[in-house]
Amino acid sequence: MSDEMAWVRIEQEFDAPIDMVWQMWADPTLFARWYGPKGFTVPVAEMDVVKGGTRKICMQMQTPDKTMTMWFIGVYTEVSEPVRLAYTESMCDAAGNIIPPSAMGMPDGHPETTEVIVELNEANGKTMMVMTHKGVPAGTAGEGGWRQAIDKLAALVAAA
Amino acid sequence: MDQSEQLDLAFAALAHPTRRAILARLAKGAATVSQLAEPFEMSLPAISKHIRVLDKAGLIEQGRDAQFRPCKLNPKPLKAVAGWTEHYRHIWEGRFETMNEIITELKGGPDE
Repeated sequence: MSDEMAWVRIEQEFDAPIDMVWQMWADPTLFARWYGPKGFTVPVAEMDVVKGGTRKICMQMQTPDKTMTMWFIGVYTEVSEPVRLAYTESMCDAAGNIIPPSAMGMPDGHPETTEVIVELNEANGKTMMVMTHKGVPAGTAGEGGWRQAIDKLAALVAAA
Repeated sequence: MDQSEQLDLAFAALAHPTRRAILARLAKGAATVSQLAEPFEMSLPAISKHIRVLDKAGLIEQGRDAQFRPCKLNPKPLKAVAGWTEHYRHIWEGRFETMNEIITELKGGPDE
């Protein structure tokens, strides 16, 4: 799992103890407050923060003529409080059935499942957070899938 | 072709290990179809098919030389794909700004 396979890797320092930053990810009420993109609310955040536990998130945006609703479902793949958290994420309907990304207007080849990894480290009362978001091959064991695609892509762009 | 169509073609073309391997080879320099076919246990027509998909997606360019038609990498669509992933970065950065505001609030607000 080297870094160049990731889509996004963000390092950010918070002037707060590690437990407080952990709660931002692990407490559904706090998570719902920061997670929605601008203009969105998070009316549902069901999170069973244990390894193998499921998570279901609803994001909503109110426009003058309609309410746009998006659901996401996933599984916690790693829970080591308060230093490391990982979970998968896929778009789904309200019942939890996964929606293929192409049906949501995403380009062909967009991975059905992505993975978010959060690493926390406290020093001198401040907490360093490293968040990695990557595409994961979904049911493409034979193909190697997206990690490799992004890996190659990064190398190609660097060489271009 | 608009940018979204170009992205669709690029993603579809990248969604195959042989085509990614071909691109990785071309990143090192131009090559003929038979040179590209060498590392694969695949017929020339099968390789040519993959090359056509890459060509259609604009990921490679083929030379005019009728006999050899060397292939060359075209980095432009790859940069478009990379730009698309940047979209996710903006979303996360916005979220973490909000997270920082909540943390400040939980700690009792900024010292004023």
